[in-house]
Amino acid sequence: MSSTLVLPGEAIPLPSSSKSIILGPGIAASSSRTRTSPSDDASSSSSTPAIIATRLGVLSSAKGKEKSEQFWVEGNSKRYIPAQKDMVLGTIIARHAEGYRVDLGSAQMASLEALAFEGATKRSKPNLKVGTLVYARVSLANRDMEPEVECFDPNTGKAEGFGELKGGLMITCSLQLCRQLLTPKFPLLPTLAASIPFEIAVGLNGRVWFKAGTVSETVTLKRIVEGVDNGDIGAEKGDVEQAIKDFLA
Amino acid sequence: MVREIEPPSVQKEFLLAALAESRRLDGRLPLEMRKVDYIFGEELGCVECRLGKTAVLAQVTATIAKPRDDRPYEGFLLINSEIGPMASSVYESGRASDDEVMITRLLEKSIRRTEAVDREALCIIAGEKVWHLRLTLHFLSDSGNLLDCAAMAGMAALRHFRKPEVEVIGDEVIIHSPDERAPVPLAIHHTPLCLTFAYYENLQPILDPIHLEATLCAGTLTLTLNAQREICVLSKAGGTPLAADEIMGVVRVGVERVREMVKHLEEELEKDKSTRVVEVR
Amino acid sequence: MSSSRLEILNDGGLRHDARRPYELRSTSFLLSTSSSSSTSSSSSTGLTPPDGSSTVTQGLTSVQVTVFGPREPRQRSLAAHDRATVAVEVGVVPWASSGSGAKRTRGDKRLQEIGAAIRQTFEPVIMTHLYPRSEIAINVQVLSADGGILPTSINATTLALIDAGISLLDYVTSISIGLHLLQPLLDLSQPEEMDLPTLVVASLPSSGKITLAQMETRLHVDRFEEMLTLGTDEEGRR
Repeated sequence: MSSTLVLPGEAIPLPSSSKSIILGPGIAASSSRTRTSPSDDASSSSSTPAIIATRLGVLSSAKGKEKSEQFWVEGNSKRYIPAQKDMVLGTIIARHAEGYRVDLGSAQMASLEALAFEGATKRSKPNLKVGTLVYARVSLANRDMEPEVECFDPNTGKAEGFGELKGGLMITCSLQLCRQLLTPKFPLLPTLAASIPFEIAVGLNGRVWFKAGTVSETVTLKRIVEGVDNGDIGAEKGDVEQAIKDFLA
Repeated sequence: MVREIEPPSVQKEFLLAALAESRRLDGRLPLEMRKVDYIFGEELGCVECRLGKTAVLAQVTATIAKPRDDRPYEGFLLINSEIGPMASSVYESGRASDDEVMITRLLEKSIRRTEAVDREALCIIAGEKVWHLRLTLHFLSDSGNLLDCAAMAGMAALRHFRKPEVEVIGDEVIIHSPDERAPVPLAIHHTPLCLTFAYYENLQPILDPIHLEATLCAGTLTLTLNAQREICVLSKAGGTPLAADEIMGVVRVGVERVREMVKHLEEELEKDKSTRVVEVR
Repeated sequence: MSSSRLEILNDGGLRHDARRPYELRSTSFLLSTSSSSSTSSSSSTGLTPPDGSSTVTQGLTSVQVTVFGPREPRQRSLAAHDRATVAVEVGVVPWASSGSGAKRTRGDKRLQEIGAAIRQTFEPVIMTHLYPRSEIAINVQVLSADGGILPTSINATTLALIDAGISLLDYVTSISIGLHLLQPLLDLSQPEEMDLPTLVVASLPSSGKITLAQMETRLHVDRFEEMLTLGTDEEGRR
């Protein structure tokens, strides 16, 4: 079941072997439809609700703890929906007494507490201007509340790379590409890094920030990442190397 | 109008740093346009113009109407350009934003008031029947510089359009269907095209700004020029003050660019014409 | 283009209203003209008077401008956190132009365009960063129109802003320029504006730079340069 394309509303065949099944994004249990296996007769068919896909995409699965199995649909949506523990790039759009409001590109603004930074105390809080780009982690995301983000790891109290991003350039791309960039197997970033040294921050909300030594290198990175995103450039090593040569010239 | 969230300040810093080195975010030179593509529709008078990711579809239709009493020899040309939410989420249907008013007015001035189409040639019977042309512009996608793209699409559509041939016998008007007689092109005096420049403080101007460049610029200047080296419209509504010779500088650049653009448009029209078989029985 | 019944320039080199080509119409600039801004009446009405006002008359064109602000923005969502926003409203009284001029309403595209032009002209000139989270409202009322509405409105707005005591980097002056054959004419009246290629220029006199330039008719590039230089020179003298 490595690559099954599912359409919204399509019933998902779930394996009966695993003990518990976790439904991820893009999969929902539908109460209006029930699962009927052909062998069952009419009387016993009312029991279990059907599991259907709600988005277009590739059905993916992974083994979890204790024989559980996770399922989700790997789609290509562009609008970000905050989820806990996602790393995101946000723009500060307003300052308040207790913190900041941050735009993540999602339906709602997120809030960022002034104390959610490394080493921040009531006395010494970071002073960020409106328009600052921050790399943060979603600490709270549920559907009835405003999402909250934080710029440190609450367990260690360290910044862990989060915080204000200075200089460089931010681009927007599809959510799928952002997820791909974070998988170690994806060849794009290693290939780029072989010829251009740069810093990068990938937000799962469809935003990527990077900073290279010179303007032309940064522009090259931007054009390649955008090119890969809309399919003009292949993500394979050879294609990217060719593109670097063309754009840097 | 829905207010857009301002881009983070690093974007502006980077953009200005890049422009100081005469580089743009998409690798273009400061005075380079994005690639222009014309896609001709099945019907005559239907052209989609793409300028990078900006796209405008133009459609010309003709009906017969009664002329105005004070201008019995003149036909009508109506330009319909309403920007809907399709182009970008900042546009709302209904209330027109300032940008939209600017685009509509400049198109009106560029195409209609410069008499690009000979309106007297649209007359069929003086005081009775004239052609009423309607140029409808659909703004499909906005990634900056809608106006230039719309002007190109509009002029391409007008030059691509053929009106059915009419014959006047006494008081009667016979409209020949395209199968009987080949439809005739409109009488076009000249081809005005728009060029938009964006300015930044103490930096050289750039041509054809993309959306981000337009959001961050200190002012824009739109020129409408034709291949005969005439300025049809010049509009610099505020923004950073410029010296007179700076304006003349971009005018000179514009003259060259427009000549190339008109040539490109004519080649594309010619190419499209050769693929069409006009049957005359 | 020239289907004119009007003789733009007669053999003696005079225009239809007996002006010489470079001569301006009789001009008057008045400050603090809004009736409610005089202290006695404002206390009795209890309404907030405008912070600044002016009336500019150029020939038969007359424009009154009132300025409110910096004040709390009417629409909260329009406030910018680091500067003041400028809002311009343009109106024309129904009896402003004699003859067949179509009646203009608030939603008229041409008026909206004039409003947008005034807003964009003054945004870089007003030191908006001094007044964060506030709004400066400019109301332009055209009392009578005989050509040159835009330049007159810009001149009047400058004066009203000065009257309101709003910090400006420079003041703005504006003029219309026409071209008859090879002869440029200044400060056009309505009949001249109808028949001639017209250029409206607004510039900052101290730096000589141009903030606004608008032209609507076909004109050869070389002629344009001449008009532009003339316009800026002429404004410098005012």
